Amino acid sequence: MRGRAADVTHLNYMGHYLFRRVLQMLPVLFGVVLITFVLFHVVGGSPAVMALGKNATPAALEEFDETRGFNRPLLWGRWTATRAWAAWDARRGAARAGAWEGTTGARLDAAGSALFPPGVRVVPLACPLRAGTAYRWRLEVRQPSGGGTLAVTPEGGAPSTAAIAVPARWTRLDLPLSAGADRADGLRVTVTGGAALEIRAARLERRMAHPWESQLAHYLGRVARLDFGVSLATNERVADMLKQGIGPSLMLTAPIFFGGLILSIALALLCAWRRDSWFDRLTVVIAVVLMSVNYLVWIVAGQYLLAYQAGWFPIWGFDSWRCLLLPVLIGLVSGLGANLRFYRTVMLEEINRDYVRTALAKGLGAPAVLFRHVLRNALIPIITSTVIAIPFLYTGSLLLESFFGIPGLGGLSINAINSADVEVIRGVVLVGAVLYMVANLLTDLCYAWADPRIRLR
Amino acid sequence: MTTFAPASPGLAAGGPRLWRGLRRGWRTRASMLVLALFAAAALWGEIVYRLAQARDRTPSYAQLNLDARYLPPSLFRHPFVAAGGSEAAATPVGARLYAGLRELARYPFGTDNLGRDVGQRLIQGARIAFQVGVMTALIAIPLGLLLGLLAGYFGGWVDDLVVWLYSTVAAIPGLLFILAIALVVGKGLTGVYLGIGLTTWVGLCRLIRGETLKQREQTYVQAARAMGLGHARILFRHILPNVFHLVIITISLRFPAAVSTEVFLSFLGIGVQGEPSWGVMLGNARLRLWQGMWWELTFVTIAIFAVVLAFNLLGDALRDALDPRAASKSDV
Repeated sequence: MRGRAADVTHLNYMGHYLFRRVLQMLPVLFGVVLITFVLFHVVGGSPAVMALGKNATPAALEEFDETRGFNRPLLWGRWTATRAWAAWDARRGAARAGAWEGTTGARLDAAGSALFPPGVRVVPLACPLRAGTAYRWRLEVRQPSGGGTLAVTPEGGAPSTAAIAVPARWTRLDLPLSAGADRADGLRVTVTGGAALEIRAARLERRMAHPWESQLAHYLGRVARLDFGVSLATNERVADMLKQGIGPSLMLTAPIFFGGLILSIALALLCAWRRDSWFDRLTVVIAVVLMSVNYLVWIVAGQYLLAYQAGWFPIWGFDSWRCLLLPVLIGLVSGLGANLRFYRTVMLEEINRDYVRTALAKGLGAPAVLFRHVLRNALIPIITSTVIAIPFLYTGSLLLESFFGIPGLGGLSINAINSADVEVIRGVVLVGAVLYMVANLLTDLCYAWADPRIRLR
Repeated sequence: MTTFAPASPGLAAGGPRLWRGLRRGWRTRASMLVLALFAAAALWGEIVYRLAQARDRTPSYAQLNLDARYLPPSLFRHPFVAAGGSEAAATPVGARLYAGLRELARYPFGTDNLGRDVGQRLIQGARIAFQVGVMTALIAIPLGLLLGLLAGYFGGWVDDLVVWLYSTVAAIPGLLFILAIALVVGKGLTGVYLGIGLTTWVGLCRLIRGETLKQREQTYVQAARAMGLGHARILFRHILPNVFHLVIITISLRFPAAVSTEVFLSFLGIGVQGEPSWGVMLGNARLRLWQGMWWELTFVTIAIFAVVLAFNLLGDALRDALDPRAASKSDV
């Protein structure tokens, strides 16, 4: 009975601990989502241009942005830029007259401002305004003679709104526009007054229905729905691509991981046991040498020498288990050096402890001491390093997969990087981060299970 | 081995102590020699590069020479046969020797598929590798050091914020994160610097934070506080020297890692553009290997290997000298 009760308390503590750890994961998860957002929405270029090319029409780009939520304010706000008309500022490079191209009768003066003589002009738009949506044209204007007025309406849109008086000094005016039922592909500017109207800066903005309808909200919503979007390059669903990739990836990385673990631990035990023997010294030297050879060189040389010249392995492909042999071998060899050195250090530390001497003194054989005592006590650093290795494993397969034509996540990522396929990269990054966090959680649980003091902290 | 007082194992006593503590076996000496050569090659490469830029000329390492494509290294070219030709018997021995030596000095490392000098390109690769190592350290080390010090010293919300920040960065798969940053920043060295620099401060930050947490409770810090010294002074004049050994160890570990990452990025075509970095050369060599051009791959491999090995050996020696705790662990 006492055992049962202890078990229940134990489970209870574990439950509490698990709950706390999962809660601690949430801020990190949010941070990862935030970092991907900053990377791809704030710093990165326009995904629409990346996907459709520089020669795509503004209408097509606008359509692309609309379906993926890229045409919204970044964090929050009522007004957002539109591709219908490029924002323009005379003080920021006078050469940018492109915004006024096609506006007959308007011209730029020496200071770079746009001059609109009295009369009616039409400013063409790159793509039509959306029907039933409010826009505004934010202008910095003046009428040097004073007493002039300005009225702007979308072409074929609602009847002209009341003309606004323009003062003689620079003023910022917000001119509301509402596109009518028809497609407006120009802005009709009516100017009255003595002298030409001067425009120093102009920006066309679209009004959002809700200020929180932002890119961030859209992105968070997508992540919450586990919607990874659609590949920019192949139009496939990213979730499907990831699902297809995980199998081949695991086929490659799991043997490398577990094989490497067993091999390096076994060698490390031997080294620690026969410490300072020729075997130990040689192994340590070989480990440093193995560590120092570039990963790429292992792959290039291995593929050339073992697969092409010697013909022992298939060079490329994923149609039989034989294709996996060489990549697994290369993965094993390239990772062996660092692991071996680390495990040897861990084992040495354990083997110098008193309990080992005691065990040997009471007549236990070497295998019993090594496997029953040393290995068990060295387990905690081994678990830690194993988990630390998981993200490396994930990225390590990037190269192996793309070199050997294995259709896993690594090859997928490399292709995505080469074609600037932001959606796929983001999907892989998010999944990788979640995997890492889960693995971290698992190690901590192992710790807590192995060492009751941790649970109580 | 080293006999530092456990309370302040750092560089408080300055460089000479580090120098004395460094075990100078042949391995340490050899790796220092290799690193000195590496630095000299980088400097030489920089001079060549700058001169060519100042004169607005194609630098010698980028000059195409279509008559001398696929030339093996001179030792493998049978220089005496090449110099003498069919009338070798007629020419005097001295002249043949002279011609042979000249041939040896011409393209000693061979030429690539466009007739460019592999030796000169290797030197340029050393320049870029050196730059990447230094620049990424300049980004990552101050970042990790400062955040680690602040988090460890002040604790509280500062600590929470820093721990959150580095846990987040650590959660993202490293190489992929670097690739994404490089992709977003744009192809070129800036992307490489930022990608590697902004992802590799985490390890140092963790170490410094942990060590500062320990140092904060030491008597010398309490004494400094009792004397009424300001936080900045305690942090940078008293604690920093005692955790600085971690910075040196980290640099010796991160530098070769940065070089390897640059090789990888340039190989993928995201890194260096239009310059012969080791990664670019490796990518080129890989394609030409199938045509029998083994030397470019071999020399690049040897160059990367030598630099990384030297850093690894020196890093071990540094760790032994600076970190008594680690030294007791890894007495190789």
